[in-house]
Amino acid sequence: MHSKSNGYQRSAWAFMGPGVALVLLAMYIPVVYTMYLSLTDYNGLDTPQFVGLQNYVTMFSDPSFLMSLLNTAIWVVGTLIVPVGVGLLVAYLSFGLKWASLFRIPFLIPYALSGVAIGVVFNFILQNGGALSQAMAFFHLPGADTHWLEVAPLNTIVMILASSWQGIGVNALLFIVGLQSIPKEPLEAARIDGANGLRLFTTMIWPLLRPSTTIVVGLSIVNSLKTFDIVETMTQGGPNRISETLGVTMYSDTFQNSQYGLGAAVAIFLTIVTVAASVLYLRRQLAIGDSSGSGKVAEA
Amino acid sequence: MKARKWLAAIVVATAVTAGLVGCSSNSSGSSGSTTLNFVEDKGWNYDPLSTAAKKSLGVSLKTNTYSNENQFQAFVKQSLRTPKAPDIFTWHTGAQLEQLVSQGLVADTSSIWKKAIAKNWVSPSIEKMFTVDGKQYCVPLEVDYWGMYYNKAIFAKYNLAPPTTWSEMLNDAATLKSHGVVPFYSQDGNPWAFVYYMLTMAGTDLNEYNAINEGKASYTDPQVKKAMDVWLKMLQKGYFSDPGSKTPSQTVFKDGDAAMQPFGTWYPGTLAKVGMKPGSDWGIFPIPAITKQNGKTPVAVETAPVCVTAKGANKAAALKYSQWLMSPSAQSTWSKAQGILPYNPQAKAANSTLQGFGKQVTDAAKYTTYLRYYEAAPAPVLTSALNNFTGFMTAPSDPTKYLKSIQSVSSQYWASKK
Repeated sequence: MHSKSNGYQRSAWAFMGPGVALVLLAMYIPVVYTMYLSLTDYNGLDTPQFVGLQNYVTMFSDPSFLMSLLNTAIWVVGTLIVPVGVGLLVAYLSFGLKWASLFRIPFLIPYALSGVAIGVVFNFILQNGGALSQAMAFFHLPGADTHWLEVAPLNTIVMILASSWQGIGVNALLFIVGLQSIPKEPLEAARIDGANGLRLFTTMIWPLLRPSTTIVVGLSIVNSLKTFDIVETMTQGGPNRISETLGVTMYSDTFQNSQYGLGAAVAIFLTIVTVAASVLYLRRQLAIGDSSGSGKVAEA
Repeated sequence: MKARKWLAAIVVATAVTAGLVGCSSNSSGSSGSTTLNFVEDKGWNYDPLSTAAKKSLGVSLKTNTYSNENQFQAFVKQSLRTPKAPDIFTWHTGAQLEQLVSQGLVADTSSIWKKAIAKNWVSPSIEKMFTVDGKQYCVPLEVDYWGMYYNKAIFAKYNLAPPTTWSEMLNDAATLKSHGVVPFYSQDGNPWAFVYYMLTMAGTDLNEYNAINEGKASYTDPQVKKAMDVWLKMLQKGYFSDPGSKTPSQTVFKDGDAAMQPFGTWYPGTLAKVGMKPGSDWGIFPIPAITKQNGKTPVAVETAPVCVTAKGANKAAALKYSQWLMSPSAQSTWSKAQGILPYNPQAKAANSTLQGFGKQVTDAAKYTTYLRYYEAAPAPVLTSALNNFTGFMTAPSDPTKYLKSIQSVSSQYWASKK
């Protein structure tokens, strides 16, 4: 009996082996290697020399890193306000309407585009003398010569709006699923008791929507922390590194400045912040929320 | 039975793993092949060279272009030690070449240079740019001098003549500006953010320009501030095109959105792409000095080096190709294909507008050459400078803070070299 179980175990491991090896090879080893690199002065060519925590010291005294940290914070807050907020609004206002799904389609379509495509399109609109400036000049609106992508924090804000154009639809979709899963009875009861409009929303719908909110906000925080593609295509973090996010700083330190050690330190920092934010947020939410959403959240 | 199951699982596992590893290894390692894997960052059409080389050497090129300079550099640096390394690749002289040489990643071309110099194919002053610690590496595809391209139609319309002094050039600029024409083309970021620093700095004090690039002077010196103030004044007068615009320079030039553009003598090939012809559509003049150096006008020079990977599979063929590249026949072919100036005096120049310009700026009595900033500045300093100059041209103001920022990187770099 014992030997049979043992053999079964062994063949099970043998079948799992390739998968485990692949995960180790493609996920864990790179993380460990990045940690190692962050403690060296590797420049992409010379043999890496161990420099201890020097890269982390350099990183926190580098004004462009601090700027990038601030921009990333703006991204996190901005994506919570705009795509999540407007997503909720779209979902709530369209919920139960007769032609709701038709109304929601235009919000959802941009989600099919890649971040790079969004960047290219909005670059065309927002560059100096671009489509937006031309349109404003045509209608004699003030501010037609605004340099949208060259002044901080304006450039970060307009890029958040550009990415919101893409993000609203999927958030709305997630909220709609949440709205649909709310049981009708308590809402009916609340209505009979005279709750309406804002009151109904804040006291009944919002608390019942918590599982969806947890997912949408959690995803939004993680995604905004690792913002890269839209910034890289629109401003490349510039001019003079004032619109970089941590993801872009990591890339430009590594591949543009050939400071692989410093780039790896930024990568490790970004990873720690992202994991910490997700764990703290989800822990708190799952402790309060009911169990129905928790499984999905853990996967997300 | 159990053992067999076990064995089967291991076999499957091994096969899968081997398959994965196999995917990543180089399958085209056929040594002795005469197709060279060529990786480059210029986006030019190398077919005429490839065809000619195939005829005379039996060597042809398989070209891979990286249009993003950062990605290109990262690829080359990462690949040179691996089987994915290109046989030959374009690069830059100066600090960027020294970096590869110090790691033993590029092949020695000293014997090729010896023959080329003996045959008078190339001037010894160019050899210096390809020399690191007494040995030569890479060969030039072309050698380019920087001049000011001007739109002939616009100059004719406002009765302007190509200037011969700095103040004449500013007068032309003032006239153009008063008619609503942007005088100078300018672009931020990598690579072109350095251009007007280079022109004003080398144009006011060439010794200081060179000393800074060798770590012997500081970006915070008063001479630098003086040069930057010349640039600042031009910025404040609105003499430059929008540096943030993504419109290609040749389109800006053709549309008359900037009347003058400072570029190397490689530029006609790019202008030809939008149908602009030398002589009738555009002309070129040497960029006047603000203050002459010992009576001579400084001219920026750059080269387009082609380098051979030290441990490449087709090294012998790549070296043979390198030697041929400097020959009169290859240089004539390339000059014809690109409409540029050949550096080999025995080659036939295709374009008379550039030929006149080339004769002018190589007159050692009147002109003195200096290495273009992009090659002269050490890599980390260059990156910081491109960022800071971008900041400066985007929001023109006192340059001091930008210069301090570049100097902090420069001090750090040169301290690490001691």
